[in-house]
Amino acid sequence: MFFIFEKATMTEQIEDIRKNLQEKIKGAKTLKEAEQIKIHFLGRNGVISHLMKQIPLLPVDQRSLFGKTVNSLKAEITETIEKLFANCIHESAQKGRQELFDITLPGKCPGIGKKHPLTQTIEDIKEVFSRLGFDVAYGPEVELEYYNFEALNIPSDHPSRTDFDTFYIKEDVLLRSQTSTVQIRTMEKCPPPIRIIAPGVVYRPDTVDARHSFMFHQVEGLLVDEDVSFADLKGVLEQFIKTYFGHDVQMRFRPSFFPFTEPSAEVDISCSICKGKGCSVCSYSGWVEILGAGMVDPNVFKAVRYDEEKYAGFAFGMGVERITMLKYGIDDIRLFYENDIRFLSQF
Amino acid sequence: MKISGNWLKDYVHFSLPPHELADKLTHAGLVVAGIQLVEDDFCLDIEVTSNRPDCLGIIGIAREIAALTGGALQLPEVNQPDENKKTSETISVTVEEPLLCPRYTAQVIKEVTIKSSPEWMQKRLISIGLRPVNNIADITNYVMMETGQPLHAFDLDKLSGNKVVVRKAEAGEEFIAINGAQRALFHDMLIIADEKNPIAIAGIMGGKESEVSESTRNIFLECAQFESRQVRRTSKAVGIASDSSYRFERGTDPEGICRASHRAIQLIQDLAGGKVSGNFLDIKTRIRKPKIVTLRINKLNQVLGTNLNADRASGILKQLQFTILAGSNHFLDVEIPSFREEIYREIDLIEEVGRIYGYNNIPTNTSIRVRGNARSKREIIEDTVRNFFTGTGFYEVKTFSIVDTSPLQAINLWSNTEGFDIANPLRQEESRLRTSLLPSLIKVKKHNMNHGTERIKIFEIAKVYIKTDDRLPQEKTCLSFLDCTDFFTGKGIIEALLSHLGIPSKPDWTGYSEKRLFQEGRAARILMDETTIGYLGDANRKLECKTSIVLCEFDMDFLVKETPFTIKYNTVIPYPPAFRDLGLIVKEETTWASIEKCIASTQTSFLAKIRFLDIYRGKQVPEGKKSVSLNLCFQAHDRTLKSEDIDTAVEHMLKSLYKNLGAELRKL
Repeated sequence: MFFIFEKATMTEQIEDIRKNLQEKIKGAKTLKEAEQIKIHFLGRNGVISHLMKQIPLLPVDQRSLFGKTVNSLKAEITETIEKLFANCIHESAQKGRQELFDITLPGKCPGIGKKHPLTQTIEDIKEVFSRLGFDVAYGPEVELEYYNFEALNIPSDHPSRTDFDTFYIKEDVLLRSQTSTVQIRTMEKCPPPIRIIAPGVVYRPDTVDARHSFMFHQVEGLLVDEDVSFADLKGVLEQFIKTYFGHDVQMRFRPSFFPFTEPSAEVDISCSICKGKGCSVCSYSGWVEILGAGMVDPNVFKAVRYDEEKYAGFAFGMGVERITMLKYGIDDIRLFYENDIRFLSQF
Repeated sequence: MKISGNWLKDYVHFSLPPHELADKLTHAGLVVAGIQLVEDDFCLDIEVTSNRPDCLGIIGIAREIAALTGGALQLPEVNQPDENKKTSETISVTVEEPLLCPRYTAQVIKEVTIKSSPEWMQKRLISIGLRPVNNIADITNYVMMETGQPLHAFDLDKLSGNKVVVRKAEAGEEFIAINGAQRALFHDMLIIADEKNPIAIAGIMGGKESEVSESTRNIFLECAQFESRQVRRTSKAVGIASDSSYRFERGTDPEGICRASHRAIQLIQDLAGGKVSGNFLDIKTRIRKPKIVTLRINKLNQVLGTNLNADRASGILKQLQFTILAGSNHFLDVEIPSFREEIYREIDLIEEVGRIYGYNNIPTNTSIRVRGNARSKREIIEDTVRNFFTGTGFYEVKTFSIVDTSPLQAINLWSNTEGFDIANPLRQEESRLRTSLLPSLIKVKKHNMNHGTERIKIFEIAKVYIKTDDRLPQEKTCLSFLDCTDFFTGKGIIEALLSHLGIPSKPDWTGYSEKRLFQEGRAARILMDETTIGYLGDANRKLECKTSIVLCEFDMDFLVKETPFTIKYNTVIPYPPAFRDLGLIVKEETTWASIEKCIASTQTSFLAKIRFLDIYRGKQVPEGKKSVSLNLCFQAHDRTLKSEDIDTAVEHMLKSLYKNLGAELRKL
């Protein structure tokens, strides 16, 4: 059905056209002549068009093959004529001015995309802690008040609650103001030993400015085991800080207060901008605060029914935006949520 | 809390320069946020954490410095009469709410001369940022700053009925505070009243009416303890905060009240010429039993990772004014002073020892026990998806999950319910938890458009919040993207993603209408086994994004669940495939899916793949029809196919297409 045709007629006709084309091309030198040849073969009343018009006159079973042959001839002629055009252009250029193949013109770039800088920071953090055997855990963002406060040893009416100002949905349902909620949910589900980090979004009703955002990211860490000490906490955090901020960075631990840890500490690193000499980023102290940490308060173990004599643990938490800002010298937290491509493309 | 260096030197001797002192305090947990040098003095701005109310008085800071430097603590001498009475000839005091006011002391002082306080006192108050008023007000402020215990002086002659009552307010009672604030009081507020009216909101602020003024001759000096939660609640409710309420909220020293009061009485006698009249009233409703906590030395070292001995630990605690009642190499029985009420457990003592010993002196242990962990499937899949999108030129964005209540933000593709409203929003623009990521992506597109980047490709992986019968919402993780192309490019991205993840089954696409978001007739619901897994559509032009855009919101949880853990390898066939192009004339309403399904149903041998090429409508195609061209790929596992094999197959296929769909081969 497809491949029946009169070979002789077809081949002869095609060969004639080819010869004709070659002859005409030999004489052509100018763009005008090339244009005429193009019209002769490919124009509306040209050779190819003429052949096409014959198709309906052929027996049905030959039409397809004939059409295909004509099409491939058309492609061949088109290519030949294009080459002719190129030659003519080149010649006229040779006569007129020299055309430069300018290798310094910019390249053509395929579109590339980037992960959000906050995602990159979270991935870096996960990478460091996964080497130390920490799992990644998640928890809900809309939380029961119990997990955000009571279980973390923050009773209602306690002045420390102001440190964790909170958006409420209902009486006892809120948007978590810290990822520490995941600690409790994990410990409720699993017996010790525990080794997790919990990255995620938290919310606090802060008026938005260059330093504050009502939504931001935290990574919380928790390790519970037998014989865990403050010295281990220091060791784990030192490994993180050296990996993330560099080996020449200095760190210091200061006593502080968090209701869910005892003893509690804040950790500073030497300011990477001024190398500890003092600048506006570190308020001229040479140190910048990067995370809060401490030994898990026995009251938290009580809330999840862990044996507080047998087990000890440490927890730490850090602001992802803050760490990213410090690392790259970003001065406005709002940039992370504007998603201007000119910002995102830099990381 | 601001501290004057000279003032501090009254109570503790130290020779450290200001910045070294600041450093020591910072390392002990009292962060010095600023040092200001003024003439012959310096002022430290200390951030006191909420667990250290004892450091809200200069003496408290002096105690810390004594412990840190070994310097001796010298407290001002105060004459405290031995016997305290519950009545006075001049005035009667009743405490109706002993739980909310565990202790109330008062002294009547007569014939005071109101004038400016002496220069030294004014200078000290100014150095820590307080404004001098008159000698009486300045003395109460001075003693509060020194001891951390708030005091208040009333003009005795303005109190009616020679009577003071500590009671709950009655609804409807009105009160004008010293700062001029006028407030209606409620029943759950604790007040100080005379026979008729409120004269102070307990622990928060005194009243305008009874304020000590130039004409004051006789005063009633109050020094009391108010329950911290009560003060906190009331302060919030009336919207008045003061140096006094700040301290009561955090807790004052119950044993420091008499001392503070007598210190003030003495100063009033010295500086205002007042004469004590009648007894010192002391109404105490709670007998405080000293707390005793045992510290085990091995526990101390276990928690801190140190090697401290009992002597070192007891030395530190004694410097902090703790009393060691008994002890050995293995334990210490420690009596907790009344100004450190927050300490009641062994762990609290461990923190005290660690804090003064210095966290930076605790060793750093870098060898912790190994514990294996495997990356969770969610981690792996989210990572793969992010890499897929960035690899195809998309930028990842992060947008706020709290949004406004506009009709666009109300779009909920996953449920018919509304979003969760926030009970205490900061602004209307951020008052509801979002139910779709797409409005935020449109906002990002507009931001970039207005800042010179017209064409962007962006995606986000984040949660939407859906109401359920539970107390907490369902938090659904969505994968949404926006591209400045069209429906089919978007569809191609989804198909490529599913194939990249190795999800074998193909989803169904059905028409979908969401007029706010999508162009009518150019949007689809994506289904897998009759479950909706996503939405895709060309954006409604009314969204005014200049370029045409395609929007997609996809169920990320589905991807995590359905992605197979392993990919099964298929043999790469060494024989060449053969291709055939077909042009089919079909009715306009015939869909590609039906053509594909029809071809599949013929079970044509060797057919390996069907590829859509294009649709043509024009002269050669009759009205109401279209020409669909496609490419067929044939492949045998064991040999090179001959054209006869394929011809027969195609013929069979064409017959079926004609029979089922009326499709004809397009003639050239």
